[in-house]
Amino acid sequence: MPTSAAALGAARRSARAHFTDPARKRGLLVAFEGPDGSGKTTQRKLFKTWLKSEGYDVVTTKWNSSDLIKPIIKSRKAVRALSPEEFSLLHGADFRHRVEQIILPALWEGKLVIADRFLFTGLARDVARGLDLDWVLKLYQPLLWPDLVFYFAVSPITSGKRVTATRMPNFYEAGQDVTDVDDPVESYQRFIARVIREYESLALIFNMITVDAEQSIGDQHRQIRELFLAGQRRPWSAWNIDAVAEWLAGRGAAR
Amino acid sequence: MKASRARLVSVDGVDASAVIAAARRAIDRPGRGGVSHWDASGIFQDLCVADAAAGAPSARTLLLLYAADLAFRLRWEIRPALAAGRTVVAAPYVDTAVAFGRAAGVPVGWLTNLFRFAPPAAERRFVTATRGAASGEGFVGLASQRVHGCDRGARRRLIGSAAAHLRIEAKRRARRPKR
Repeated sequence: MPTSAAALGAARRSARAHFTDPARKRGLLVAFEGPDGSGKTTQRKLFKTWLKSEGYDVVTTKWNSSDLIKPIIKSRKAVRALSPEEFSLLHGADFRHRVEQIILPALWEGKLVIADRFLFTGLARDVARGLDLDWVLKLYQPLLWPDLVFYFAVSPITSGKRVTATRMPNFYEAGQDVTDVDDPVESYQRFIARVIREYESLALIFNMITVDAEQSIGDQHRQIRELFLAGQRRPWSAWNIDAVAEWLAGRGAAR
Repeated sequence: MKASRARLVSVDGVDASAVIAAARRAIDRPGRGGVSHWDASGIFQDLCVADAAAGAPSARTLLLLYAADLAFRLRWEIRPALAAGRTVVAAPYVDTAVAFGRAAGVPVGWLTNLFRFAPPAAERRFVTATRGAASGEGFVGLASQRVHGCDRGARRRLIGSAAAHLRIEAKRRARRPKR
């Protein structure tokens, strides 16, 4: 928690010095984004195994997985008690807690963080639920931008086929809270089309690397390796200074 | 045609007991209105039983949870009561959370955006007592405990700063000419 402007100023200087020090191994943040059924979790696992074999110290974080907030969301989803605003705010809280407890500490230690879904998931789903993009984006401030974002692009039909091949989509996954469609499969098809439309806009706005997720698993994995090797040498993004400084100042205040 | 009595009154302060007492006084005629309390959704109750190993939430995380609880209260308590033409006293409402956020150094712009979904209260009241918060009661008390843990001095400073922000806001409101 930032306690004062002076503490925040000192934290900013410390963050810049830490992440731009050429003698220090810099942490990297790689995000995997895409709709359900796009195969990103399969790719994330393959990528992690490869990175470990290459000697990287890897940390993985998944969407809606904070030990503190996840139980709160889970119990409310179970009774279908969430409005779009509550859904959005609780997922924002879960994300914020993971940024502060998992992602930033790992980056600070020079580790490579793989995020299986990042804030773009919140943006795509919340906007598909009818919320205002500007309002939702600001909930995630101070923004932390990944070094690389892979967007796994599939059509709504492919997403629907892959998801429903093995299971029935759950109430919120199918967007039944906003479609008013009783059949989960039909609702999913309608909702995922909206989500994909939002993802496609976000992929353009935020310069994500689009991976054709209709390709074979092997082809996608090879492409990801190549893109990672080309992209990992990017310099540290100064856009992240606010997020890091606030976290550092908060650590100081918590001690 | 009868004029609607629908009216949203906010009562904000860092001392939860004093805020509840003031909220009860704010309902001019019993049976004509009700009080919407903090944590009607039970989010913070659930947070209290979470494992300490999950890590301390930051001020921003706690404010996102406060906003989620407020969205719940608006949906199930405040808006239905207003639609039925009743007086609703929201105790606390937006000002308490904003005061806590400002005391914790969270930017005003972020706080303003966060609570953009909440309709403005027709009347805003402020309670300046601080004792209940120091014992960990209410949102500010609990949030200060969560952020600062056992450091009582830091907790007291945070509560004091939040109370000061509320006093400033109350004075600002008092100076504004009534319509």
